[in-house]
Amino acid sequence: MSQREENLGQYMARRGISRRTFLKFCTVMGSTMALSPAQAAEMAETMAKATRQSVIWLSFQECTGCTESITRSHNPTLESLIFDFISLDYHHTLQAAAGDAAEHAREEAMKKHKGKYVVVVDGSIPMGENAHYSTIAGITNEQMLRDTAKDCFAIVTVGTCAAFGGIPAARPNPTGAVAVSDIIKDKPIINVSGCPPMPQVMTGTLSHILTFGAIPELDHLGRPIAFFGETIHDRCYRRPFYEKGQFAKSFDDEGARKGWCLYEVGCKGPTTYNACANLKWNGADTFPVQSGHGCLGCSEPNFWDQAGGFYAPLSVGDWGSHEVLAGAVVAGAAVGAAAAVAGRSKQKSAHEEKKS
Amino acid sequence: MTLLEFARGPAMEWSLIILVAGVVLRFAGIFLLTRHKTYFRTKGGSTLAAGLRTIGTRSAPTPDLEHRVRFSHYTGYLWHIGLFITVLFYAPHILFFESILGFGWPALPTSVVLAAAAVTLAVLIALLIRRMVHPVLKTISGFDDYASWFVTTLPLVTGLVAFGHLGADFGWRYETLLAVHILSVELLFVYFPFGKLFHPFSIWFTRYMIGGQMEQRGVRA
Amino acid sequence: MSLNREAFNKFAEMAGQLADMDTPVEMPDDQRVANAKRVMMEKMDAPKAAMLESCIHCGMCAEVCHFYMTQEDGKFTPILKLDLLKRVYRRELSPLRWMHRLYTRDVTIEDLEEWQELVYDTCTVCGRCSLICPMGIHIAAMMPIMRNAYSAAGMVPAELHLMDSQQDQGHLFGVGKDEFIGLIEQLRSQGLEIPVDKDKADIMVLTSVLDIMVSQDSLIAMIKIMNHLGYDWTFRTDGYECANFGMLSGDEEVHLKASKKIIDAAVACGAKKVIVAECGHSYPALRYEAPDIWGHALPFEVLATSEFLGQEVEKGTLKLKKAEGVHTVTFHDPCKNNRWGGVEKEPRAVLTALGLEIREPDSTGRTNICCGGGGGAFLINRTADYRQRVFELKRDQIDATGSEALVVTCGSCRLNFEVGKMKSNWGKPVESLVEMVGDNLDDGAARSGTGSP
Repeated sequence: MSQREENLGQYMARRGISRRTFLKFCTVMGSTMALSPAQAAEMAETMAKATRQSVIWLSFQECTGCTESITRSHNPTLESLIFDFISLDYHHTLQAAAGDAAEHAREEAMKKHKGKYVVVVDGSIPMGENAHYSTIAGITNEQMLRDTAKDCFAIVTVGTCAAFGGIPAARPNPTGAVAVSDIIKDKPIINVSGCPPMPQVMTGTLSHILTFGAIPELDHLGRPIAFFGETIHDRCYRRPFYEKGQFAKSFDDEGARKGWCLYEVGCKGPTTYNACANLKWNGADTFPVQSGHGCLGCSEPNFWDQAGGFYAPLSVGDWGSHEVLAGAVVAGAAVGAAAAVAGRSKQKSAHEEKKS
Repeated sequence: MTLLEFARGPAMEWSLIILVAGVVLRFAGIFLLTRHKTYFRTKGGSTLAAGLRTIGTRSAPTPDLEHRVRFSHYTGYLWHIGLFITVLFYAPHILFFESILGFGWPALPTSVVLAAAAVTLAVLIALLIRRMVHPVLKTISGFDDYASWFVTTLPLVTGLVAFGHLGADFGWRYETLLAVHILSVELLFVYFPFGKLFHPFSIWFTRYMIGGQMEQRGVRA
Repeated sequence: MSLNREAFNKFAEMAGQLADMDTPVEMPDDQRVANAKRVMMEKMDAPKAAMLESCIHCGMCAEVCHFYMTQEDGKFTPILKLDLLKRVYRRELSPLRWMHRLYTRDVTIEDLEEWQELVYDTCTVCGRCSLICPMGIHIAAMMPIMRNAYSAAGMVPAELHLMDSQQDQGHLFGVGKDEFIGLIEQLRSQGLEIPVDKDKADIMVLTSVLDIMVSQDSLIAMIKIMNHLGYDWTFRTDGYECANFGMLSGDEEVHLKASKKIIDAAVACGAKKVIVAECGHSYPALRYEAPDIWGHALPFEVLATSEFLGQEVEKGTLKLKKAEGVHTVTFHDPCKNNRWGGVEKEPRAVLTALGLEIREPDSTGRTNICCGGGGGAFLINRTADYRQRVFELKRDQIDATGSEALVVTCGSCRLNFEVGKMKSNWGKPVESLVEMVGDNLDDGAARSGTGSP
């Protein structure tokens, strides 16, 4: 049996994953994606029969953190296996082929799976200087994206850079970095944002496509609602401290040691939609807030440029500076005094008029 | 730029500039106007003492007249106190003040603040209805009265909505609700110096002045 | 002693005809508006501006205004009565005038016509609104500016305008210097010793047209009291009239002219004290307002009759017998003496010295409700119905005290109560404070006779 024809169930069995374990995975995934138990069972059934999905992975202006997040789990997981199972026809970080051979593999996959392949993009696309800030094999990122996206079934962006521009697009955005959705307007785009995104979210999203051959339900930013439907704050285990008004005031105070709410040290949990607080990271059952640092809001657009910075509480914005306000005082006083002086002279002339 | 970024960034900075400059402008424009001299022999004692005393005594109606204004007086206090508790003792609000003033103070439990906000909102709605039906209030009220009510009540409503994540059913997300709340406060800042909402700044001076003016005639203000 | 009924009826008849006797001021409408606005602008200053800027439209001022209390019509709200002033201020002087001009209507002749009723008929400038305002807006202190503006616009109600013209000419209701001298002669012929036009006197006593015409007993009582005290006192025929229709109509020129007569006479005889007759508005008109218009401090002390009597009682120089036939009284503070002049404990000291029990109504002293006829409103015929309603409010308040008599110390309060009594058949005696004192001088007590006040 050639690898190409092997389905996921067979692949799992070959890698020593029992059907029971796989079912459990599907149940958990299903509940995360708000499927009914029946649907979860159906998902297991369908997924087991799924054949390899052709995937072209385009890495543009990125740090490889997203790929690291998904592939370098400290021990092999079921998620990584699903990831392995997909047919990565092109991934210039991971693939052995290089240069023309690599580009050839991409073109071949595009031809062979026309209209069926999925394009995964990580990294933003620099548009400055005619998009020449980043090229691969002499092809600009923008051109490669347009070419590759043309015949795809859907695009999955991995990471905030591809989804929203991310750090490369942070002020002053020297390369003119943009998100995939700024360039491609005619294909479904699923944004799996995060810096990096959660591996479970990535595999969950791919699982959904494998299972249902369709795009999952998305929020207004194009993110799968199953994973981005709730805020970190909504699911945060420190939430009761917030409600009680118990806050850490700094990272080494009594409140921080007691594990109180990190709102005051800048946690963006209330405005950040991601699954960190319930799915947790690294197989270690933790996430940033649990490690004692507030959420940076990395799955949200422009998180890098938010008013006040990472450590300004949400209710505190960029209110300017005391110098600016002092200037406002001076300007107000000057205009007010001028108005009063003009008023006095008006009164004076009224008085003269009366006398005459 | 998202709505929340706009609210927390440029909108906040400009609304504060307008608030500060507007208040100072109005103050300077009023108090630098001319003053008329008094020539009569004064009758009472120190106008300074009387003025300062009146700042306090005008906090409540003089006992003989209290029964005529009971409703306005007590509801007025009720919603002002409720609003102060909400504005000054909710933890996220204190952080905002702390960022500007450089110091903070202890917060009240969220449940207390929530109750205060709810009471305040209820009283404000009752007072709006009263303003529209009471023979005096409906006659003397104009745009400023309703606008002032609106910009005062709006942050309370948007704050409660954001707090309760209400609106999720309509697809309104928390960051949008928070942005709307912050923007509504900024609307209040911008309107503050230009209408009757200016009164918290002037009240101390007007009370002081009437106290002194009446004292000059030997009358307790 | 009591009110001269015959003279009272004659006076009421004359008062009823005032409006017909007036010659209205001819002036183009735009001139009226311009004059009114000019005065309003000229009279504004920083404290008044701060006050006008501070109104939160809470409506409390209306709740304590006797015209709103009796009619519950929103247009009688005190602060609304200042609306034209507020609009002129906002358009011309406010630091936000560039903004206010966009939506604040300019004052028109129609506005002036509409507000006349609010400035004269339904405001007695009693000042009760100024006591309740939580913002500390001295509403009543700005009302005179409105009247100044109306006077400049030639739009003072006919009755007050006529009286203003008469005051300018030196006689009121046909009573001038000659009539005053005539009354003095008549009283002298009855055996009263009356010092008139002394070159030097410590105390100069004023009288009012109402006393000369209607309440001669008040005048007689004052003469008897002064003689009883034995002070060096005098009337001056060049400055005897305390009533000031210049102030009531808003005509500062006539106001000062009338006050100047008194000032000059007092200076001429070197008076240290000038005693104003029982006439409410005359007291602040001379004591407080005249110096401010004149621009100089008065070189003598001004006392209201009740204030003077109270001081003498407290000093022990005025010894009184227990009043007969009456045990309990309610004292009605004239707003112009109490809220506008700080006279509160003195009349009460007098009543106590007369052995009377004072029964205070529920709002009394500085918060007393005006009789309804103050500030010149008593003479404006079209307000008769408004005044009567206020009278009824007062009557019920006074009846609730259960006292036997009402004591007043202001001619127009007294007449307003008398008119109300007639219309509603109220049986309560309305007494004048000075007459009660005149009737109960303790002749057994030695005259102080030191001649020094």
